[in-house]
Amino acid sequence: MRERLDLLGLFRHAGPAVTIALTAMVLIDAVVPAGIAIAVQELVAADGRSALAPVLLMSGVVLAGQLALAFRFPVGRLAADRIDGAHRTRIAALVMGVPTVDVAERQDVQDRVKTTTAEPRDWVDRTSGDGAVSQLELVGHAVALVSSSVVLSWWSWWLVPATVIPAVFFRTVHGRQWVRHFRIWVEGVLYHRRWKYWGEIATTPAAGRELRVFGAGEWLLGHYTRDMRTHVDPVWEDDRRVLRGLWLALLLPLAGCTVAFTWVALGTAAGQGTIALEVAVVTAAWSVFSVAIRTDDVISLEGARPVRRAAGELERINPAPLPLRPHAGTAAAAPPLVRFENVSFSYPGRPVLNGVDLEIRPGESLALVGLNGAGKSTLTKLLAGLYRPDSGRILADGTDIADIPGWQSRLSVVFQDFLKYPLSLRDNIALGADDPDLLTGVVRDAGLAPVVSRLPGGYDTPLSRSRTAGVDLSGGQWQQVALARALYATRRGARILVLDEPTAHLDVRTEHDLFQRLPDITEEISVVLISHRLSTVRQADRIVLLDGGRITESGTHEELMAGGGQYATMYALQARRFSQGYEDRLDEGDLA
Amino acid sequence: MREYARLWRELIALCLRRYPGSTVFLIGWHVVSTVMFAAVGLTLRALVEATQAGTVTAIGVAALGAALVLTLNLGVEHIAYLRTIHLVERISLTEVEPRILRACAELPQVRHLEDPEFLDRVTTLRGQSGAVVDWAWAVLQAVSATIGLLVALAVLGGVNPWLLALLPCAAVQLAMERLGRKKIAEEDLASAEDLRLHRELYDDICVNPAALKELRVYGAAAQAIKLQAEAWERVTRSRARAALIAAGWSSAGWLVFGGGFTLAIFLVTAAGRPGDIILAVSMGVQFRNVVEHALHRSMQVGGYRRLLGPYLWLMEYARTHRDPADAAPPARLRRGIELRNVSFTYPGTTKPVLEDLSVHLPAGAVVAVVGEYGSGKTTLVKLLAKMYAPDSGSILVDDVELSALDTAGWRASMSAAFQDFGRYCTTFEDSVMMGARGDLNSTVRDADAEALVSRLPDGPATELGRRFGGIELSEGQWQKVALARSGARPRPLLFVLDEPTASLDAPSEHAIFTRYARRSRELAALNGAISVIVSHRFSTVADADLILVMAAGKLVESGRHDELLTRNGMYADLYGIHAAAHA
Repeated sequence: MRERLDLLGLFRHAGPAVTIALTAMVLIDAVVPAGIAIAVQELVAADGRSALAPVLLMSGVVLAGQLALAFRFPVGRLAADRIDGAHRTRIAALVMGVPTVDVAERQDVQDRVKTTTAEPRDWVDRTSGDGAVSQLELVGHAVALVSSSVVLSWWSWWLVPATVIPAVFFRTVHGRQWVRHFRIWVEGVLYHRRWKYWGEIATTPAAGRELRVFGAGEWLLGHYTRDMRTHVDPVWEDDRRVLRGLWLALLLPLAGCTVAFTWVALGTAAGQGTIALEVAVVTAAWSVFSVAIRTDDVISLEGARPVRRAAGELERINPAPLPLRPHAGTAAAAPPLVRFENVSFSYPGRPVLNGVDLEIRPGESLALVGLNGAGKSTLTKLLAGLYRPDSGRILADGTDIADIPGWQSRLSVVFQDFLKYPLSLRDNIALGADDPDLLTGVVRDAGLAPVVSRLPGGYDTPLSRSRTAGVDLSGGQWQQVALARALYATRRGARILVLDEPTAHLDVRTEHDLFQRLPDITEEISVVLISHRLSTVRQADRIVLLDGGRITESGTHEELMAGGGQYATMYALQARRFSQGYEDRLDEGDLA
Repeated sequence: MREYARLWRELIALCLRRYPGSTVFLIGWHVVSTVMFAAVGLTLRALVEATQAGTVTAIGVAALGAALVLTLNLGVEHIAYLRTIHLVERISLTEVEPRILRACAELPQVRHLEDPEFLDRVTTLRGQSGAVVDWAWAVLQAVSATIGLLVALAVLGGVNPWLLALLPCAAVQLAMERLGRKKIAEEDLASAEDLRLHRELYDDICVNPAALKELRVYGAAAQAIKLQAEAWERVTRSRARAALIAAGWSSAGWLVFGGGFTLAIFLVTAAGRPGDIILAVSMGVQFRNVVEHALHRSMQVGGYRRLLGPYLWLMEYARTHRDPADAAPPARLRRGIELRNVSFTYPGTTKPVLEDLSVHLPAGAVVAVVGEYGSGKTTLVKLLAKMYAPDSGSILVDDVELSALDTAGWRASMSAAFQDFGRYCTTFEDSVMMGARGDLNSTVRDADAEALVSRLPDGPATELGRRFGGIELSEGQWQKVALARSGARPRPLLFVLDEPTASLDAPSEHAIFTRYARRSRELAALNGAISVIVSHRFSTVADADLILVMAAGKLVESGRHDELLTRNGMYADLYGIHAAAHA
């Protein structure tokens, strides 16, 4: 019952006009069968005399029903769409408003987000809006049953249980069948998605090449068949059970109808009622069974249930989502002195940083190096206040960054997996805070100007092939867009620029040019640069090496090379390989 | 049209062969159901007339008949509906989908997966085999429902010839209904872009935890949420508008039909026969359902055409693009692979990707191909793998035309790791071996992936990829899986590494190159295998036996590292830029 009220409560998002209109149409549709029964009674009772009034009554009822039916679809669609829109916006606000980013990354949170917002993929996926509209229609079905029952009771009260009980019984049996079938289907839905996945894989160019080179067509088909069978075998088994059950269940309405029709007809023949009444009652009995056979709402309700449940759980996980506001552009200030004091951080079950002490001095360029998985990216996330340290503090000019309102507006980061918005180039860089002069400047600085001049719509070209007149950029060009985005933020007040592998997709020449320009385009800004290509970091003011969860080496390139530590080893390795080819052996110990 | 008819016969025959019981039942039901609608009115009339006559037996028979028709009309119709779904699913998943998959995964060449025009058709078919089979049944049902309508009209005409006037009224109504549906379909198409935009913004940006860090740092969350909501609002409005217009058409149609219906009822009532009244009313009020059903199925038939075109095309394409070559590839390479004046332009484009390329890749050599983006490196690899055939010129493997070699056989004697590799959501072991037999451990060792495997919770049996709840790997780790896959072939004659280390750190990249270089030498000694390493980084290839420098589809320079440096050409130039950073 709570679930049902929750669904009906969703109509607050549909707006009063739509809700009232939809309710009216559902109710009209519900009482039409009873209305027809009454009108047909009047028609027969007219007995050939001037029958204009009952004829008009009949066509009025039918027409009202048809109009209600015709407009119920668009109004219901509108209500469901509005409810879904409000629902998704709410879920997005809950996800984006988590206190720290790691909450959103939790598997349990992600699973729920997926459940609540997935685009309906299969017939079992229903949205909140579908559920709400179906719940309203269910109310309509109840009204239809009651109103038809009233007509039946004109003949005799016992006719009501005689017809309604088999009808409701049929509906219950079939509804249960559906719910069971639904659950069996959903139980294997992972395998359903898997077999679809193999089909998808077979049509991607990347897999297409590998499937051919490795002669793996049969491998793919084998996986498809196995996953498909795992899903559908129980479903098909249940299909047969449902069909057998249905044949049996149909005996009920057959018996109910036969009894009711015979009894009424015999009674009428014996003079217990008029032909007109008989006709009305037979019509009403018919409509009782027509309502009983409709079970599509059962599926919608069942399909929307997990969505509602997961949405409620997300509300409980994040009871007070942070408000979402754009950064206000700030006047240029000096970059702060940032200090990491004995900072430790673990992912669940995996310690990453263990007592990091580090200074980022105002205006310096600091390179952060280390092997894959050393925690370089994690460190930048802590710096950006996206995670909180498990212990230790991060201070900016002496204040804990956790206590600095709008700390993130003072930072700008090119993440390794930067975002590719399916929006225009302008929006991709300015993110809604448009300033044409700044835009031109950062595009030039990021080396993107030649790309812009080739774009058909200039800055307004959508950067997604799925949009009209949209284009796809190459990996390298996207990287330049991400850089322009970061530079744009620095022009609007960010004073620390973090570059996490900013040139991984660039070719040699572009990468070289970019690093040449970097000091000029980041004046008065602290720069933190992460790169595994050590040749690109040697010009940094200072280089720190992250190893085993802490900073183990720090100094200029020359100092570190002279120190002969791990940095020197890694650098020598890349350079040696360069000058002599790749025959050199690397000692296993250096690989840890 | 003829090919559609052939496809229809083929599909129904397939159903009949595999599931004769269901198929016969359904066809039978579609025949019976042509009179079902009319039977509703007829049995109810019989019941009323029996009552008037007062004969008990007649009443009993009529009551049973009416109840039976009711049950058939509602219940068996529903059973037939479920049975159709069941049958369609069975045939499509066990027969039709595998045909589509085979065509996609097993044709020798890959044009149908790379040419956007062809790929569009192929992706349209993804997971849609059900629609292909359902089409065959939709045709049958549309025909049966239409005949049912005509039968019903004939019955009504029998009561009073004037009732035949309902036919033109119904036709007008049908036409208007159709106009409305068309409008909805148009609007769906028009709002598809906004819907995609909404989904992309929503799924990839708003609720994607990986996006959140950037949204926070840039303060872009509010903007993202606003843009997705606006896109959805546009979709909502456009859908609602179309649906309202369609409802308007439908209502107008009903007004026309309603006029006819009112007149019909008036005429029937004036005759004063209760049986006829209930017949006319019961059929009149159900008319809409029947019309809608007929319309729905026939519109579906039309809609499925969108898929049938690509399906027929793909089947024809698969039939005509089988591989006729059957020469067996050699067991070892003696001379090597020679390209003679090879030119290639991707079908459907005009710019040549390779132009007049002639080069000899000696047996046992490690060949490096360098050049900037778009220079034709990857295309060269695709030609060597027989993914495409050259437009002109020829490729010789030990003096035998590559085109004459049995494609599957040739591929069985090569292996490759591509830059754009697949990330398969299955176990690590399965993803590496892809059904091949071999030693997983040594393969893992060669790819320097032991550390990766040791970190996986279930070792090689760990499911990969977040999509189905497995472990998500980093870019570099996925790359190692792809590398390991390429090493699962024990003794390839041609081994291709197409920029396989772009996302790896220095020691990993180094270790991999060291191992693969050693492996290449071993293979070369074993069977004269050629290794081809494609790269846009020059540092990785200095040791190769032969370096091919490509630019704009042409071979600019070739030779050993030191030869190319002394030549002071493009190679020396680009190498210089990179080397300067390390000096």
